[in-house]
Amino acid sequence: MESLLQHFERFSEVLAVSRTTHVRTWDPATVRRALQWARYLRHVHRRFGRHARIRMALERRLQNQWRLEGGSGSSPVPGLTNFQALERCDLLLSLRLLENRALGDAAYHYLLQELFPGPGVPDADPETLQGSLARLARRRSAVHLLRLSGYGENSVLEEDSVLKTQAELLLARLREVPKAEAEGPSRFLSILWERLPQNNFLKVIAAALLLPPSSPRPQEEELEPRTPKTLADGDQELVRWLLTKSDAMAAFCRNLPAGLLTSVAGRHPELSRVYLGLLADWARHLHYDLQKGIWIGTESQHVPWEELYGKFQSLCQGPPPLKDDVLAALESCKAKDGDFQVRGLSIWTDLLLALGCGS
Amino acid sequence: MAQDSVGFSSDYQFWMQKLSLWDQASTLETQKDTCLHLPRFQEFLRQMYEVLKEMDSNTIIERFPTIGQLLAKTCWNPFILAFDESQKILLWCLCCLINKEPQNSEELKLNSWTRGLLSHVLSAFKFDTKEVGLFIQGLGYAPADYYPGLLKNMVLSLVSELRENHLNGFNTQRRMAPEKIRFLSRVCVPLVTLPDIQPLVEALLTYHGHEPQEVLWPEFFDAVNEAFLLKKISLPTSAVICLWLRHLPSLEKATLHLFEKLISSERNFLRRIECFLKDSLLPEAACYPAIFRIVDEMFRYALLETDGAPEVLAAIQVFTWCFVEALEKQNKQLKFTLKTYFPYASPSLVMVLLQHPKDIPQKLWHQPLKHISEMLREIVEDQTHGSYGGPFECWFLFIHFGGWADIAAEQLVMSEAEPPEALLWLLAFSHSPRDRSQQRAQTMVEVKAVLSHLKKLLRSPTLSARDLQAAAAESQDRDPRPPSCQQLIRHLLLNFLLWAPGGHAIAREVITLMAPTDELSHEIAGFLDQTLYRWDRLCLEAPRSRKLARELLAELHGHIQHRPAAHGAAVHAAGSPRSRDETMRLIRRGTSSKDEP
Repeated sequence: MESLLQHFERFSEVLAVSRTTHVRTWDPATVRRALQWARYLRHVHRRFGRHARIRMALERRLQNQWRLEGGSGSSPVPGLTNFQALERCDLLLSLRLLENRALGDAAYHYLLQELFPGPGVPDADPETLQGSLARLARRRSAVHLLRLSGYGENSVLEEDSVLKTQAELLLARLREVPKAEAEGPSRFLSILWERLPQNNFLKVIAAALLLPPSSPRPQEEELEPRTPKTLADGDQELVRWLLTKSDAMAAFCRNLPAGLLTSVAGRHPELSRVYLGLLADWARHLHYDLQKGIWIGTESQHVPWEELYGKFQSLCQGPPPLKDDVLAALESCKAKDGDFQVRGLSIWTDLLLALGCGS
Repeated sequence: MAQDSVGFSSDYQFWMQKLSLWDQASTLETQKDTCLHLPRFQEFLRQMYEVLKEMDSNTIIERFPTIGQLLAKTCWNPFILAFDESQKILLWCLCCLINKEPQNSEELKLNSWTRGLLSHVLSAFKFDTKEVGLFIQGLGYAPADYYPGLLKNMVLSLVSELRENHLNGFNTQRRMAPEKIRFLSRVCVPLVTLPDIQPLVEALLTYHGHEPQEVLWPEFFDAVNEAFLLKKISLPTSAVICLWLRHLPSLEKATLHLFEKLISSERNFLRRIECFLKDSLLPEAACYPAIFRIVDEMFRYALLETDGAPEVLAAIQVFTWCFVEALEKQNKQLKFTLKTYFPYASPSLVMVLLQHPKDIPQKLWHQPLKHISEMLREIVEDQTHGSYGGPFECWFLFIHFGGWADIAAEQLVMSEAEPPEALLWLLAFSHSPRDRSQQRAQTMVEVKAVLSHLKKLLRSPTLSARDLQAAAAESQDRDPRPPSCQQLIRHLLLNFLLWAPGGHAIAREVITLMAPTDELSHEIAGFLDQTLYRWDRLCLEAPRSRKLARELLAELHGHIQHRPAAHGAAVHAAGSPRSRDETMRLIRRGTSSKDEP
């Protein structure tokens, strides 16, 4: 068992190095060793896939390592995150080496010979690397061809697919984050928030929150039934994180399109409450300019009337429980503000009038 | 070898030109042309790999100075990369160009350039945007994790757009433009065997738009059909039926493919024919009259061209069994009258033929038999009955339900009574439809004579092979029996052997006397197989007869195997052997000539 774990660690190092220029020093023998290790680990995956004890021990070690690294290094995620990853570690290694320009010609030549032996005798292994790599190339062409079909004309649909795919991957990762500490997922998300382009990240989170309720992934059938906590949908983790990270939540509600936010709020009541709260805060920053006859903010970061109105309007077109909540909240704010009927005195009145819901 | 290389060089030039023409396949014409040539180009790539792998990098450049261009153009044509195994073979070819130890700057440049191409093929079309790339990498994922998921989501979204399209008929905003649908069908041609694309293929096949003309590309149907016949794609039956209903050539190809399988499969195994038929989905598809009529036409031509080959007859019979079964399973969801399936036949005749003998008590089988015989006779002998076709049409309809003729023979042999005229006529007709009434009458007389001899022997306690031979012997003072009559008599004798109490003991001896040649052995084996198959379908018990039939069949098969010269010979009705290839050739000729005026 110990030697197995050592193999793990050594291979993780190799995997990390395979992306760097350090491979310049690799010769064909090094490449051969690396590939052998990868093959061995794949064999381990096949052999011990059903051995709960060994699998758990390995996973625990991996998770420990992840926790220790804690997001240091170039990626917040280590190369091997769980037992499942062993299945494709050779593919991962091969692709990294293939794309690494620093790899010397002799080593590269050897790598190609190993990866693409040609027609010849098929391996006993049905899932050969050659087949996987060819299939990957084919799938990419498929994506390209489908895009050519003017798929991109309806760019909303295209963007949807891209976002949806990113969302699925995000949720997949969240499932793997070390659960030993309750804070694991949140910490991970915070790291991502700091490192990644934020606008895209927010859109992906929205997409993830709107995915249909996840069905168990086929791989999970193999593994033991997990505790209810780990089966909790990743989107719960996302909601929890958003609720605790106020700057992310503010950016979320500010930058995303109104319609998208309405859908998210419709699905997740806890978020809708915070959303409404934020809208209320933003509204309070505006004051009425008598001369121009409009509500404006004093500073540039204040949310302008049009945007505010747009978001409320979208919410009022949402599904009934949400719509009713929003109207109730507006009414209550209006009442607290003095229950004016005339324009220009309370922003709540004006909003309700503009929305066509004023009484 | 020299000839090979000359041939290869000219191929090389040809493909070089083509690739330059196609460029990145961005126009309709280049896309069409590329798709048409995909399989041949893949073959060429394979050949090229075989040539390249023997050489080292420098030799390759010497021999084929433009190879870089050729491979690069291939890499940049997404249709080629998407097809079947082309991307794999291309990768092999590129690997041949890599130099293990580059000596000079030229070789270094070549290596670098080749690596770039390899990278392009494997990691082409980088992440859509930088942001997406950073996101995926930030999560610790690689393109290998992203692209399969993206493809799946794109396919899902296209499928739902196609389906919604169908429901939102007049909501023009949501509708997918016909050009886009056609483009999708074109793009699917190289991708048809990729499992991820299968939902899209299915959605396209079952898409029913509001345009009057077919909106999908014909090559799309061809590609899907090919893939289906070679079992490289798995589609639900409903999608395959849509394919055939929309594209006639695909249906014809599928039927010919089936014929090939039937003709070349082991003879005399009706169970196997049944498996092939059910596998082909044609009986189920034939519940749609349009499809039934076309398949039936092709069977008709096959029968005509091979002059009534027994394999074709057997195939038609089994096909009809499967078809009727499928119709019943449909549970009347498809409501078509019988006339739509058999427009040239008398509806009452069809109704009687369609009856399942299982539903009628065996004692009463003579009733439908008489009825069938009378109806057929009326049509055949009445010259003015033009609307129901001539004797051949009648006979063609009848042999669909050939089981009845076999039942008639059994009944005649087993019963003690005087053989009814109607059954005699039926048997004579089924074995020889083209006879004139005089010839047929002659046959009936001969059969009657044999039957009366057999009945005497039925009661005889000591039965010998000689007795049977005598019973079947031709009388010297008449004309020799025509072959079809001889065959009929043989079948009666075999029935006798299977049913008569004394028949079991002498069976083997009789058969040895009856079947001196391989063709006859094949014929008898065919008869036994057909009989057993029919008994299974009718759930007939008869354990002793069954056992005998099975044993005899096994022995005959063993006997036939030992004679390699006879292996693979189909039997012409007149007795001369014909090879399987020839049979197929005739069938193909027959089915293609029907397009000519």
